[in-house]
Amino acid sequence: MKFKAFLTDNGVSLLEKRFLPALDKMGRTCHLYLTRDHAIFLHNLLNGDGVQCIAQFRKEALFDDYRISSQNDDRIAFAIDLSLLQRALRSVIAIYAEFSGSHSGASVSNRLQIKLVKKLPPHSQQPTPFLTFETKGYKSAVVQDVPISKPLSRSDVLELQAALEIAQDLPRTLVQVPDMNQLQNFVDRMKHVGDLLNVSITKYGDLHLQISTTLITLGAEFRKLSVIGEQSEIPVGERDLSAQSRTQKAVERGDAMTVQVSVKHFAKSLQCHLAKPDCAFYGIAAQGACLTVIFQFFIPGTRQRDKSISLHCRLPVLDPGAS
Amino acid sequence: MSSSAVEPPETPDLVCQLDNVQGMVDALSSVRWKRHQDAVVELSQHGIVLIVEESRCLQAKVYLQRELFIQYEYSAQGWPRFGVSLGLFVDCLNTFSVPGHSSTIEIQYPGPDMQLLLKSLDSVNACIYAEIRTRIPDMVSWDYNFEPSGNTPLTFTVKSAALKEAIDDLEWPGSSIQIVLQPAPPSVTFRGEGHGDLQIDFMYYANTDLLIAFHCDQQVSYRYKYKFLRATTSNLPSSVIKDNRGSKLTIGRGGMLKVQHLVSVARPSASHSHIDSAGHQQPSRIAYIEFFLKPEEDEATGND
Repeated sequence: MKFKAFLTDNGVSLLEKRFLPALDKMGRTCHLYLTRDHAIFLHNLLNGDGVQCIAQFRKEALFDDYRISSQNDDRIAFAIDLSLLQRALRSVIAIYAEFSGSHSGASVSNRLQIKLVKKLPPHSQQPTPFLTFETKGYKSAVVQDVPISKPLSRSDVLELQAALEIAQDLPRTLVQVPDMNQLQNFVDRMKHVGDLLNVSITKYGDLHLQISTTLITLGAEFRKLSVIGEQSEIPVGERDLSAQSRTQKAVERGDAMTVQVSVKHFAKSLQCHLAKPDCAFYGIAAQGACLTVIFQFFIPGTRQRDKSISLHCRLPVLDPGAS
Repeated sequence: MSSSAVEPPETPDLVCQLDNVQGMVDALSSVRWKRHQDAVVELSQHGIVLIVEESRCLQAKVYLQRELFIQYEYSAQGWPRFGVSLGLFVDCLNTFSVPGHSSTIEIQYPGPDMQLLLKSLDSVNACIYAEIRTRIPDMVSWDYNFEPSGNTPLTFTVKSAALKEAIDDLEWPGSSIQIVLQPAPPSVTFRGEGHGDLQIDFMYYANTDLLIAFHCDQQVSYRYKYKFLRATTSNLPSSVIKDNRGSKLTIGRGGMLKVQHLVSVARPSASHSHIDSAGHQQPSRIAYIEFFLKPEEDEATGND
């Protein structure tokens, strides 16, 4: 089982400034799943509860000279502590930047290597796996070892791969969130009022969020959002109705779906905007199985989707009928 | 009370619009000294008054005059009153407040089921709404009638920040705080005795920038429970400190202490342009906060 690659400058900035801060908010530990073509950070895919979060990078998006081999079809997966990874990366980058800074324009090349190693930690007889970062600075070199879990067994990797494939299913209708900051700000404040959030999405681009308790009903309705996938015409004559009755009518017509999720999960999924996506879409999976948020990234300077990076979350649906 | 609680009235008792939600959140938060508080809201043609009370020793009122609202349509017969959870009301209002924007909301009472209805008016395609369940107010208001103690009112005005700091510092001795006003030399003393002694003096001539006004013709001294005294400044909004406002304290008959604060409800964008040359904002954009605090009863050393 071998993994060795060099992080590109773009890869460094993607991870350090954008993705690791966002993923760290989703949960301290995640699985890092490396295949021949992809590096994937996965939250909560092997255990049922919690927000599933999948950040997938094509190898070129982060690395060059990417080499991986394992007896399991060149797939390696392990659990890693994201805050440790973040700290290690920051420390390595500090030295790396110092060197690059002092040799600007020179032909001397400096590289930031990442590899999987087994080492004997101090005061231990048992070799332990680490993800190691190595680079050199102007006067110094640095090696940062990030402890990781034992690599996942063949059956666990298969299970992870299966879960990943299921998680790629797209909802039929997706609506685009107009302003992530505004939505996050709203949901952060909404958290004080209740725990359960009803999310309704119509095929004509309405997103309706509502918390309802015995004492209060608090909601927000965003209308005329852009829609991807299955669409329908905006019904006429419903302009003056309340948000609740509009949603109810849409559900009755089959133009909308409603699911109930935890406000905390919803707020957490919004933390993904730390990864600075260019747009975000919400959709409800078939049979209301989960609420999906898809973040898209553009190729810098264009409005074209960067297909080498993908990030999405799946929020578990709480069964309102059970209570 | 409103005319009928069974049939929802055709026209609501009140429909009003406010263009600075944060100001209202600030004003209401300043009387929020604990997590769960029941408030009574009274509506009239003059504005909205929210009252909270505790242990028959402390009452606080927030006056939101109709001038604070950009629209105020009052159609009730009589004086509608309803009970509401203060915490829920404030948390809910807070969701309407967008940092950096001045959000406009519409408040309506009653809804079809006697709810308090709120909705945002900022955008056609994005709307926030809320329905807060109200109660029939069960609070029998203890009579907080405030009467002056003599011919000259016993009163002083102190910078709100200094008052808050003094009261925060008195937490250490805790339990019971004595407030002494004396005419010669004109000064106000806060004294705490408990786990130790702490005395804070505001000398009128020495601290004219802190103690802005002072009227007292006889020495008075009363004791107040620390936890109630603290409630009067514990949630003072940051805008009050930032605007460098003063708080007025008056001791009335029997040692009843009245604490008054001013909270700005001006639109954030306009708050600077509306300050006149004297540094005062237009009075119409101010919410008045009043606390009434009963002295501890074992205190017999009222007046000289």
